Amino acid sequence: MAATRGSSRRVFELFVSQIHWTLATKELRDYFAQFGTVRKCTLPFDKETGFHKGFCWIGFSSEEGLRNALQKESHILDGIKLQVQQQKRRSFRSQYTNEGETDMS
Amino acid sequence: VLLLAAALPSEQGSWRVAAAGQKPSSGARLFAIAPHQKGKVQEEPVLSVQNKQAQHFDWALNKLDSSVRRTGRITRTLLLRIFHDMCRTGYPSSNQALLLLRSCGSLLPEVPLCERTELAHMIWGKLQDLGAVYDASHYNALLKVYLQNEHKFSPTEFLSKMEEANVQPNRVTYQRLIAAYCNEGDIEGASKILGFMKMKELPITEAVFSSLVTGHARTGDMENAENIFSVMRDAGIEPGPDTYLALLNAYAEKGDINSVKQILEKIEKMEGYLMDRDLLQVIYSLAKAGYPQYVPDILSQMRYERGYIPDAMNLSLNLITQGLEDTAFQVFKSFPTLPSENHSETSMDYGNFFLQHCVHMDKPLSKLKQFCDELKEANMHSSPLQFTLYCALESKKAALAINLMKTMKEEGLPLRPHYSWPLLVGYQKEKNVQGTIGVLKAMHELGVEPDVETYTNYVLTNFDDIQTFRALLQENGCPFETEGLSVAALRHEAIYGTLENITELLYKDGRYCQTPPGPAEAVGYFLYNLIDSMSDSEVQAKEEHLRQYFHQLKKMVPFHFLLHNNTEVSALEEELEKLKAEKQPIGNVLKQLIVALCAEENMQKALEVKAKYEPDMVVGGYAALINLCCRHDNVEDAMNLKEEVFRKDSSVALDTNKYLALVKVLGKHGRLEDAINILKEIKEKDIPIKDTTVTSFFHILNAAAMRGEVETVNRLHESILTLGLAKPSTNLCTPLITVHLEKDDVPSALEATIDCYKKYGKMPRLHDILCRLIEQGNTELLQKAMDFVSQERGEMMMLYDIFFAFLNTGKYKEAKKIIETPGLRARPGSLQWFAEKCIATNQMETLENMVEMTQKLFECDRDEMYYYLLKLCKISNDWRKAEATWTKMQEENVIPRARTLRLLADTLKNNGQEVPFDVPEVIYVNALYMPLQCNVTSQLFFFILIVEAYNILLEAQKKDIMFPASAYSTLIKALLAEGCLEEALKVKNIAETHIKGFTLNDAASSLLIITQVRRDYLKDAISTLKKVLESDMVPMSLAVIRLIQALAMKGDLESICTVEKMVENLATSIGLSRMLFVNNTVLAHIKKPATDLFLQYVDAGRVDDARFLLQVIIYQERNSSGQKIKTLLDLVPDFPDMKIVYSYLLKSLDNDVVSAKTLFEKMKSENIHTDEIFLKRLAVLLKNAGEPVPFTEPPESFHFYVNKLTQERQEISSHAE
Repeated sequence: MAATRGSSRRVFELFVSQIHWTLATKELRDYFAQFGTVRKCTLPFDKETGFHKGFCWIGFSSEEGLRNALQKESHILDGIKLQVQQQKRRSFRSQYTNEGETDMS
Repeated sequence: VLLLAAALPSEQGSWRVAAAGQKPSSGARLFAIAPHQKGKVQEEPVLSVQNKQAQHFDWALNKLDSSVRRTGRITRTLLLRIFHDMCRTGYPSSNQALLLLRSCGSLLPEVPLCERTELAHMIWGKLQDLGAVYDASHYNALLKVYLQNEHKFSPTEFLSKMEEANVQPNRVTYQRLIAAYCNEGDIEGASKILGFMKMKELPITEAVFSSLVTGHARTGDMENAENIFSVMRDAGIEPGPDTYLALLNAYAEKGDINSVKQILEKIEKMEGYLMDRDLLQVIYSLAKAGYPQYVPDILSQMRYERGYIPDAMNLSLNLITQGLEDTAFQVFKSFPTLPSENHSETSMDYGNFFLQHCVHMDKPLSKLKQFCDELKEANMHSSPLQFTLYCALESKKAALAINLMKTMKEEGLPLRPHYSWPLLVGYQKEKNVQGTIGVLKAMHELGVEPDVETYTNYVLTNFDDIQTFRALLQENGCPFETEGLSVAALRHEAIYGTLENITELLYKDGRYCQTPPGPAEAVGYFLYNLIDSMSDSEVQAKEEHLRQYFHQLKKMVPFHFLLHNNTEVSALEEELEKLKAEKQPIGNVLKQLIVALCAEENMQKALEVKAKYEPDMVVGGYAALINLCCRHDNVEDAMNLKEEVFRKDSSVALDTNKYLALVKVLGKHGRLEDAINILKEIKEKDIPIKDTTVTSFFHILNAAAMRGEVETVNRLHESILTLGLAKPSTNLCTPLITVHLEKDDVPSALEATIDCYKKYGKMPRLHDILCRLIEQGNTELLQKAMDFVSQERGEMMMLYDIFFAFLNTGKYKEAKKIIETPGLRARPGSLQWFAEKCIATNQMETLENMVEMTQKLFECDRDEMYYYLLKLCKISNDWRKAEATWTKMQEENVIPRARTLRLLADTLKNNGQEVPFDVPEVIYVNALYMPLQCNVTSQLFFFILIVEAYNILLEAQKKDIMFPASAYSTLIKALLAEGCLEEALKVKNIAETHIKGFTLNDAASSLLIITQVRRDYLKDAISTLKKVLESDMVPMSLAVIRLIQALAMKGDLESICTVEKMVENLATSIGLSRMLFVNNTVLAHIKKPATDLFLQYVDAGRVDDARFLLQVIIYQERNSSGQKIKTLLDLVPDFPDMKIVYSYLLKSLDNDVVSAKTLFEKMKSENIHTDEIFLKRLAVLLKNAGEPVPFTEPPESFHFYVNKLTQERQEISSHAE
């Protein structure tokens, strides 16, 4: 138990917004995989509408993945530009951890 | 001023200014309305309604205005929202009505014409019912709406309706009626109205002439239409843009584009000027009349003035609404597009509004596709089909959505499983199984197989069991054995289907039973939680499932839990003898026998049994026996038993109640020192002190006081306080005074209470002391007492104390004198205390006197006073007194509150009397209480009541009626108990805005947490818990448990930690076991509920099930099985036979060589014996993978070792028998 709390559990997170409705976890995961191993991709869906909320968190397993992704000037997926920034406040995301998460760690 | 104003008729000038000017007078009108609303509305609410109304009017106007400003239109949703808000606030003002009516015409381009008029009529009727008073402006507004919506109506009928309503038509009315006639080409009708105007000497304006142009044109007489221009000039009115526009529209309707062009040229030559908006009207006329081919001619004339886009957009929308989408598209394409600088990077998409409205208006797929293609070709939109699909999904148009997906597939656009979610969400809500299956089928046909998320979140929740669902899939030709479905099904089972397994776990796994109450309690808890978490319909739907579950439970629960009280003594005795004879341990049965005898109150026999089997007695038996002796006043045996058990084990502690029973019986028998020693022991052994313990202290002290034992009372009280077992309180101090009063020693009682005040700041039983002193006529001591009170608590308090004492002793004259002391003001709290005391002791005369005497008391709430009186009338069922009270209230001009009237009405009705006034409809919310039973019918019944109460509260809020804080709390609790989170939060908000400093109490907050957890709003639940703790309230342990468990299911370790820290100081006092956190932390590591099952299976020896489960887990987690195994091993560190676990693990690893090697290494490092089967299996696995085998492979075949093991096991088990 204690071991799993160590540094291996640290995740390097990106906050991605302006995600087109046609994209889902798989597309985002596949896209960001080019920068490093994607550990998690949390894209909250609105259970009332069935559409996602337009933002997600991408967690890389290494800082390098995060850096690579941030170095790219613009991220365009399906012809639409994604807004990508580093996730700073961790507490902010916890309220969405329950929705539509695919966490394979 | 505003676009809205501009869009509205200009005849009445700036109507916003007019509206503002009307505000004061609308208030006056409100007062006129109020009396006939309900009769007895107090002034204050009306004033506040009025105030609110003014605010609301401004708000609504701004809202509508900003919509018009931004878009040139209003949506139906916005209009209806404002309308419903207005209805809710109670009395709609005339201004508000006007505002809404005026919005029902061309400002709603997205709404079909006839629906707009229906909307106007609906609003008209509803607001009228609510008391809106209509004048000419409203009728005129309605006429304008008719004209804009091309609504056909009879102008004469309209006029007679106005006449009936006693509203005089004005110039504007006539102008609009003329327009209505002219639109129908009815010149005769128009002339008739013109006649009225002339008769009334009303001026004929350009608007009338413009209408006449239209009128003549529509009769087909263009010559006369043109002639109107000269008639106008003759009348001294120069034709303006309106008249020219009328003529242009007339030619447009004829499809005479040349005349249109000529007129336009003529206007230009005259340096006249038509606005783009006017030209858009001409386009509308062309389109409507069936001449779309001329639209480009007009479009080319546009100047693209500011505001062109919203106007053109509205025309476009209007055309789509009316089935003229091709023209609409032409208009849309004419939009001047802003040159996009970063076009390459992000494409700007145009035409969303167009596509969306086409979808809303159910345009056919072919049309939509055509528009999409054109948009794409023209580079106006990057993904028009996707956007159209989005619109179809959003508006739940399943057939269209699926057809669009087909089109997309044909065009090579990717389709993704989540495209089906918005549709599935809809069907999920409606519980429409056919719909769900239909979507799945369609997706399958489109080649999109639903993924795990689709099944888990949107499909499986719709089905009671997965088999049915699979069968349905099969029937519909969908694949029913996909990986996605299997995994989702497992997840589903783990979440919803393991009641039995969880209970089993609760029972069989010692770790879950460590909380003090033991497993029976745990199951009870679980049951409570389970049923509590289900809605009524769920309970009904799952009745059979639950029944089976209960049945199973009965089998599982050890008999002594269920048969606790019924166990026959004789049966136990026999059992005991039998065990004894067999030289088997008897401790447990002995305890059961003692407990059974105690339950039968058979002390003699119990003591005999104890004596007989003394060496085998366990603590539990002693405890029960001690308690029994205390109950039977057998202090000797009780103390002997206690010493006996302590001799056996000095660390033994009894529970709080048994200690208290000892203190009580010792006190009673005058063994004061022993009693104090027990109190000391309670302290030393840190026995938990609860609220009930303190109450017990009071009863022990009070019993001694009643016996008149001054020393006992004083010393026990002192010990309790000095040992810190309780804090000083008035209640606990009371026996110190009671003991003297019981002996009728009033001076000592006074001394005692003065002493109490000095020591603890409490003044118990002062009222009784004062009453006794008055009765005894002991003026000297009375003076002393008054001086003391006056000095310590102020003169005012003293006066009230003496007032109440005089009242209570029937010395009314003296009482009156006291209460008439100049400068004395009402102390509601004190008055309430005395009134409730009178009510509780049925002292009608005393209460009546108090109510009468306080008539002139400054700031005295008279309604409140009469309310107390009526309360007692109701309790004593004295309707005559109640009626007399009502008369007195009128005499005194007291305006009763609703609750007072209801109380009065109830009393009268209960006695078959007529109620002489209108009873306010509101039912008092306090009458409800929180349903805690799990009985389905009663719960349903309460649910209906709660819904009722909730509606009443909303209703009351509209009328500004307030309830006491307790009513809100009660309702919130009740709503939460029913899982109505949103409603409860709404009530909470209402309470918070109405009552200063309103906070939820402990119980309601706890329920809020539980409900939030149930809804999966864990973060909210944590913050509620935080608030509860911050405000020094104590949450129910259940709330914390629920929260922790939910967090564990989410694997949210961090939050578990946070919560643990938050409740750290409280944990013991509210009975939270540390194991709660430990267990859930472990569970959180695993996250997948399936591991629960694994443990149970291993535990229950269900090898195959366990293996299967592990296989599934590992299959799911095959990329990281090493990690998983580790986690699993972390989970089961205490498992008795690690060897078994490891072999299961290895079996389930399939061909995962890496994990297998890891496992082996781990076993070696932990010195766990690896048996032959294990080594054989591992060796085979490694060889198959072409890896070297780092140990000697067992020489025989695999089956050989399996048989060998089986044999060994059989031998072991036969030995055991």
